[in-house]
Amino acid sequence: MDAAIVGIGATEFSKDSGRSELQLAAEAVKDALADAGLRPSDVDGLTTFTMDANAEVAVARELGIPSLSFFSRVGYGGGAACATVQQAAMAVATGMASVVVCYRAFNERSGSRFGRVQTAAATAPTSGGLDNSWHYPMGLGTPAASVAMFARRYMHTYGATSEDFGRVAVADRRHAATNPKAWFYNRPITLEDHQSSRWIAEPLRLLDCCQESDGAVALVVTSLERAADLPHPVARVAAAAQGSASDQFTMNSYYREDLTGLPEMGVVAEQLWRQSGLGPSDMSVAVLYDHFTPFVLVQLEELGFCPRGEARHFIADGALELDGRLPTNPHGGQLGEAYIHGMNGIAEAVRQLRGTAANQVSSAENVLVTAGTGVPTSALVLAAT
Amino acid sequence: MITVGEELPPLSIDVTPTFVVSTALATRDFQDVHHDRDLAVQRGSKDIFLNILTDTGLVQRFVTDWAGPAVRVKKIAIRLGVPCYAYETLTFTGQVTEHDGNEYVVSVAGRNSLGDHVTGTVRIEVP
Amino acid sequence: MTDVEAAARQVMGWGESARRPGRDPVNLPMVRNWLEALGDASSAYAEEAPPAMAQVWTMGGLHHTRADDDPLGAMLAVLDEAGYTSIVATDCEQTYHRYLRYGEEVALAARLESVVGPKRTALGEGWFVTTRNIWYVGDEPVAEMMFRVLKFAPAPAEPPVEPLIRPVVNRDTAYFWEGTARGELRIQRCEACGELRHPPGPMCPSCNETKPGWLVASGLGEVYSYVVHHHPPVPGRTLPFVVALVELDEGVRLMAELDAPPDEVHIGLPVRIAFAAVDDELTMPVWRRR
Repeated sequence: MDAAIVGIGATEFSKDSGRSELQLAAEAVKDALADAGLRPSDVDGLTTFTMDANAEVAVARELGIPSLSFFSRVGYGGGAACATVQQAAMAVATGMASVVVCYRAFNERSGSRFGRVQTAAATAPTSGGLDNSWHYPMGLGTPAASVAMFARRYMHTYGATSEDFGRVAVADRRHAATNPKAWFYNRPITLEDHQSSRWIAEPLRLLDCCQESDGAVALVVTSLERAADLPHPVARVAAAAQGSASDQFTMNSYYREDLTGLPEMGVVAEQLWRQSGLGPSDMSVAVLYDHFTPFVLVQLEELGFCPRGEARHFIADGALELDGRLPTNPHGGQLGEAYIHGMNGIAEAVRQLRGTAANQVSSAENVLVTAGTGVPTSALVLAAT
Repeated sequence: MITVGEELPPLSIDVTPTFVVSTALATRDFQDVHHDRDLAVQRGSKDIFLNILTDTGLVQRFVTDWAGPAVRVKKIAIRLGVPCYAYETLTFTGQVTEHDGNEYVVSVAGRNSLGDHVTGTVRIEVP
Repeated sequence: MTDVEAAARQVMGWGESARRPGRDPVNLPMVRNWLEALGDASSAYAEEAPPAMAQVWTMGGLHHTRADDDPLGAMLAVLDEAGYTSIVATDCEQTYHRYLRYGEEVALAARLESVVGPKRTALGEGWFVTTRNIWYVGDEPVAEMMFRVLKFAPAPAEPPVEPLIRPVVNRDTAYFWEGTARGELRIQRCEACGELRHPPGPMCPSCNETKPGWLVASGLGEVYSYVVHHHPPVPGRTLPFVVALVELDEGVRLMAELDAPPDEVHIGLPVRIAFAAVDDELTMPVWRRR
């Protein structure tokens, strides 16, 4: 695809930003443009999540972006993350815009917390509200509980244990411990810490759940030709895909034949490998969406890193560590660095390709990034060349 | 011919105040909560409600209505759940769950708008 | 040992009480009254009384008093004294050794079988008191009854909880909630191709016809997966609680709260549906063990 990420920007990641979500968005976009060596007047496209509270025109006003020829939003919560880059890349590749900024900004810890019961989601007079009416009123009202329902069945079918989930958290937190930008900088955990953490939604423990964070991330996308004139090494969009699968619900796809896979990620995987001409073994680094640990295991299976049901064996020998077979979430992921709805993971992928990450994997050539799981989702393969 | 898994035709009882009172008295149960609404409310109930002897009798009726007059009822075991107040509709459903020689076990549930009023089993002998 | 346990031991030591005769012999007029009141049209009772009337023959009547050696009365008095002032019956199991013939004189004896507690229950802390009644004709035991009550101290009123989240209902889903209000578990069935489906929708994904109907499901199924919710608080629920995804015998899955202790839930647990009225307009389905 004729597009690349040429700028990354962010605010600090905190539990209480002390400023408005629009200010966070504007600061992150400003930071990303500076990183790209571009000015607000170069921007003619903006794209974000449907869940983002900051209108494209409001962000454009703050930055003084004079005009926009492309603006769009992607739905399904964190499933939108990589799809914002796909939107931007398609706009650039088709000539609808020349410089598109993807952004996500929220006070998700100090403001409306996603980990709490989102009553509004179940009471909206929409198809989504009707879907949620089969779950929220029944008592299944949080993302953790939604994933726990899936995880229980996965454990039952494949023999995975809470300790297998714990290994994901331990790896993430080990990486975050040496990333100064991470909320859990210098605070690694052990598997024993994981096992003794309290139940949230059994079988999920506190340390299976990502953080709630305040912050913002922005990414600048433009054509490869223009990218060549900009300061940083290129992060080429080698593949960008969205996916939803049969009998798809948002967080509650419980009515499929089987409750042990993420077929929407399978839809994405097939496109990634076809578009990029690459395969799982070509990935130097993976940034896997980790709002809850069980879905990291399932993603490894759907993306073809290991056979179905065998992720627990795949990760047992430290495969996710920085020196492992598949260094995963070197920034610490959303359990360790911050929960910015997956957008901080895309920024990390860019840093790995540039060679500027806090926990740099040597000679990173191709980086896989995935977006929210349990929902219609998206993913990217970014490449150094 | 009775088969395990067979479902009984449901029986719905319109639980009028008259039904509550007349069944209580027919079972010689003179407790005020079964015939005096004011006292029942004073004692924390919503209304007068069915007594246990009537529950046992209704479970028997539900099964013998279906099984016919020739069967012998050997045992009625019930667990008591939510009350059955006047103005409720009490609906019995049941299914044959066990068979042993001439004997069959029917599992029975009587439900109203509050939930399970009575659940249990009835053992019958078929001649 | 608590005072309650000591008293229970003493009352159990009494063994079987003296036999208390019924007021009248087994008689047709009372049977006919009983059949009429219960709406029972059976022709089975020309020579014998309905077995479920066993207890009726020895009921004390309008001005009855408990005998001093009545074990249930004695035990309830002890528990009243100990602060367990409320009572609810939980189980009643009657065994009929034979049917009673008209003219037979029935007498009742009772003994205390067990007193178990104190138990924490939804109603409050209490004791389960189990007695056994034995009805005799002469020296022949003709019927028995195990009877269990919970004698409890009413729990202090719970702090008000937020009302539970109400479902959005539209014309595609109204049949389901109308069903729960009537005590029916309704599952969508395509009137064109017969496909069963839950959650429902306006168009059948199998044949694309827009003829949704429904059937009343058996309400029986097995736990397919479940969650024990500990945190954060959920409106209308007391933590922790179990939410179960159940595969119905009909083949579709349906989620609802499972009213069971978390430790006793497992995948494959047989359950059946029950209904809990929230108010005049909403009745929630609830899973119960079977």
